[in-house]
Amino acid sequence: MRTSLFSLLGASLLAATALALPPKSTKNQKLTNEEWKGVSADPVTSAEIDRLVNQQLEAAKISPSSRTTDEQFIRRVMLDLTGRLPLPADVTEFAEDKNPNKRAKLIDKLLAGDEYALHWSAYWRDVFAAKSTDFRARAMLPSFEAWLEEQFRQNRPWDKMVREMLTSEGQLPIRPARSEPDAKDGASYFLLAYQGADAINDRAAQTARIFLGIQIQCAQCHDHPFDGWKREQFHELASYFAKVTERPVFEMVNEKRQVVAQQLSSKPFGEHKMPDLDNPSHGTTMLPKFLDGKAVNPRTGDADLRKSLADSITKNNYWFAAALVNRLWGELMGQSFCQPIDDMGPGKDTVMPTVLARLAAGFKGSGYDMKTLLRVICNSEMYQRQIRPGESNDQHLQFASVYPTRLPAESLWQSLVTVLGAFPMPGGPQRPAGRYATRFGLEGNFKEEFRFDPSTPPDEIEGSIPQALMLMNNPQIQQKIRAQGTNLLGRILSAYPKDEDAIGILYLRTFARKPTDREREKAMSYVKKVGNRSEAFEDLLWVLLNSTEFQTKR
Amino acid sequence: MSEHTLMHVTTGAQGVVSRRSFLRTMGAGTAGLAAAGAFGWKEAVTLHAEELRKNGMSCIFLFMSGGPSQFETFDPKPGTTNGGPTKAIDTAVSGVQIAENWPELAKQMKDIAIVRSMTNKEGAHPRAIYQMHTGYLPSASVKYPSFGAAICKELGQAEFELPYYVTVGPPIANVAGAGFLGMRYAPFVVADANRMPGNSQLTVDRDRFDRRLGLMKDLEEDFAGDAKRAVTDHQNVYKGAANLVTSPKIKAFDLNQEKDKLRDQYGRNAFGQGCLLARRMVEERVTFIEVSLNGWDTHQDNFERTKTLSEQADKGFATLIGDLKERGLLERTVVMWLGEFGRTPRINPQKGRDHYPRCFSAVVAGGGIKGGQVVGASSADGSDVKSRPVTVPDLFCTVCQTLKINPRKENVGVRPIKIVDGGAVVKELV
Repeated sequence: MRTSLFSLLGASLLAATALALPPKSTKNQKLTNEEWKGVSADPVTSAEIDRLVNQQLEAAKISPSSRTTDEQFIRRVMLDLTGRLPLPADVTEFAEDKNPNKRAKLIDKLLAGDEYALHWSAYWRDVFAAKSTDFRARAMLPSFEAWLEEQFRQNRPWDKMVREMLTSEGQLPIRPARSEPDAKDGASYFLLAYQGADAINDRAAQTARIFLGIQIQCAQCHDHPFDGWKREQFHELASYFAKVTERPVFEMVNEKRQVVAQQLSSKPFGEHKMPDLDNPSHGTTMLPKFLDGKAVNPRTGDADLRKSLADSITKNNYWFAAALVNRLWGELMGQSFCQPIDDMGPGKDTVMPTVLARLAAGFKGSGYDMKTLLRVICNSEMYQRQIRPGESNDQHLQFASVYPTRLPAESLWQSLVTVLGAFPMPGGPQRPAGRYATRFGLEGNFKEEFRFDPSTPPDEIEGSIPQALMLMNNPQIQQKIRAQGTNLLGRILSAYPKDEDAIGILYLRTFARKPTDREREKAMSYVKKVGNRSEAFEDLLWVLLNSTEFQTKR
Repeated sequence: MSEHTLMHVTTGAQGVVSRRSFLRTMGAGTAGLAAAGAFGWKEAVTLHAEELRKNGMSCIFLFMSGGPSQFETFDPKPGTTNGGPTKAIDTAVSGVQIAENWPELAKQMKDIAIVRSMTNKEGAHPRAIYQMHTGYLPSASVKYPSFGAAICKELGQAEFELPYYVTVGPPIANVAGAGFLGMRYAPFVVADANRMPGNSQLTVDRDRFDRRLGLMKDLEEDFAGDAKRAVTDHQNVYKGAANLVTSPKIKAFDLNQEKDKLRDQYGRNAFGQGCLLARRMVEERVTFIEVSLNGWDTHQDNFERTKTLSEQADKGFATLIGDLKERGLLERTVVMWLGEFGRTPRINPQKGRDHYPRCFSAVVAGGGIKGGQVVGASSADGSDVKSRPVTVPDLFCTVCQTLKINPRKENVGVRPIKIVDGGAVVKELV
């Protein structure tokens, strides 16, 4: 037995070693715009999305799920576009509205409101912050978020936003302030978020990942094992950042000279060296060249160098458009054309590539207008279908149904507040104001526990014990669950003396829907069994808030 | 903070199994990974792993945040310019002296080993702290698991009601969590050792709590039809949380169960009580406990401040060693004491010392570490390592050795990441 184990061990060690080394890739990788060559850049309509997707579903003999009910739809679209749970009155009003265009009207209303900007600025803040390596950058986040909010309020085109981030020259504070953040230099967060010797490499890697959906970071150290990118290409991209640097900004604080901010600035000279693998202290100077092979004069100054990078990325670049489409589509449908959501590239597995190409072209044609894209997806039949779980974890539903996903921290907090009412702010004379306030107290802790990187594949986002403990046992939350006074339950139990009605309104409040007959029965018999109305309903409310559905977009 | 990211590499056309499913199977702890073609190897490793978990060794990391001065702790240089006013005292081992303000630990010298030749390159707090917790420098591409999380993955018992990894004290911002190893190995934070962990106390009686959980399972049945995986995962997390709060073992977090005299001996401060909590965690077979003491960043007023900090650290650390020993726990517990770097030999005009990674001190004890010795030496003026340099990876390899873990074992995230990259066991210590 032992002998055979060892020989197996020997043989499989060999196999394991072979497995461990990245196979040498022979293909040369390069970005082209082939994917949308000849594809119309005219505005995409919802009807067109449905035609294209349904065509493919029919060919694959996949039957799509049925249309969402009004209750299901309003909760889904409100959470998707504004991160908010509808109130019972909203749900009832919407369900009773006889206007055949009510869904389109609702979508328009949501896109036009303030909450849209709040929701998406929080989303993108988390996308960028997830990979920051500069710990001081945490203090810069509120300014970044404020800038993002501005952009979304104005519906600023995505290409302009990205250009601003790549070419920024601003400064951001490294100490958290107690006043409202200044949005002015917020875009500088993107470059200031990385520090140290590896900052130039991190900037290149995140530029490729977030703006182009290309994960090129493996090629920092060796030719990419599977995607064909060569080391040289990575470091040529990094060279675009060779002349941008940051310097500390000093101020007198309490009579001591201290660093209060980091300032982006340009160096007149600077070059990036690709380290020799055998002797990392030596390297080869790299000249800036984009992933499509176009080189730039290395003597170009920093401002023009980064402007050139911004041009290469945002002007007539299929991957720029496709990456954004893939991401927003994925956020709405729960699954995207390429998965993970930020891992695309020539030759990668893509579901319905022709549909992606058409949408990317349309996005470019619209001037990179994100509201237009969201509007057209939300108005499609495809988006309005009921959820369906996959049969296995990896199964792609081919957009025949929406895939249920976990709510982001902000939305979950908003939902909790919508149900239970506002929580008292952490008190005291030093109480921070505005945006900073959300970092402290219960709200701050809650969001810290529930926050995750939005680029994580939904299947890989895990719940945690501290999250469960928070909702199960947090005294402040439990206090608001109690059936007393002006608390939610206090009011519901007195306004709805019949258990059936009280159960109904509780479901409407927490899940934005009526309970099913079975759920109502189960709840009714529970109330009877407990014998104490207040207690039983507290238990029921506790269960609803702790359940999966409360945390899930469906 | 959900810091983890389970990175995914789809390999597709090359015929190699998707790393994500590889990781998932490893995480589930099943033997026999036929899909990856490494069948026999995994079997052999799993057998060994079961033994490790049964042995139930623990590691306590006493983290001195800010960078403690070696001159005022374990490498005093009395009578020299760089040594400043700090005197040295004898210890229980003749010939070994440590700085004044450490009388209790001096008595424990036979059970501890001092390393005076720690050397590193990182002089900035965040990067050095990150490196001291993971063995790696921060990267945007990889969420490195902390050393503690990696150890928990190797040694944590399969069915365990308590967290594997407990951190005592307010979490130091941005210290690495479990990285891509996932929530299971993420540090469970006890903000204040004098109180039960946040949200760990039931707000209703046990019967009612159980009743609530029963109702939850019942009512979730319908939604489970629509979102089966989400519901299953969610219920697993809740099961873990419920097991934790209803487990009799949760009393391990209650320091009121300890005699006042012992609590006084540890020191009635956050660090001292944290050390006591660490001992209780070890008794319950929690795998990795970190207790931090902040304030060592003495750019100003070094001598007064290190005196105050040393008094706390001395009592807590010494009592911990004595207490573990008395209860027969020291053999299965390795204790590490150090900060992210040391401090400059030169005393600055504000009577302070600045950051100095080039030569600093650490202390290790327990778990089979050979106590009663000093490993390595600094130069007479303290500016350099004179002999036997020890790097962070060296230290981590040594701890791995005492815990019987292979430091070269790889965990698969976006790419294989070794538990410790580089370094060699400090043979004098084991």
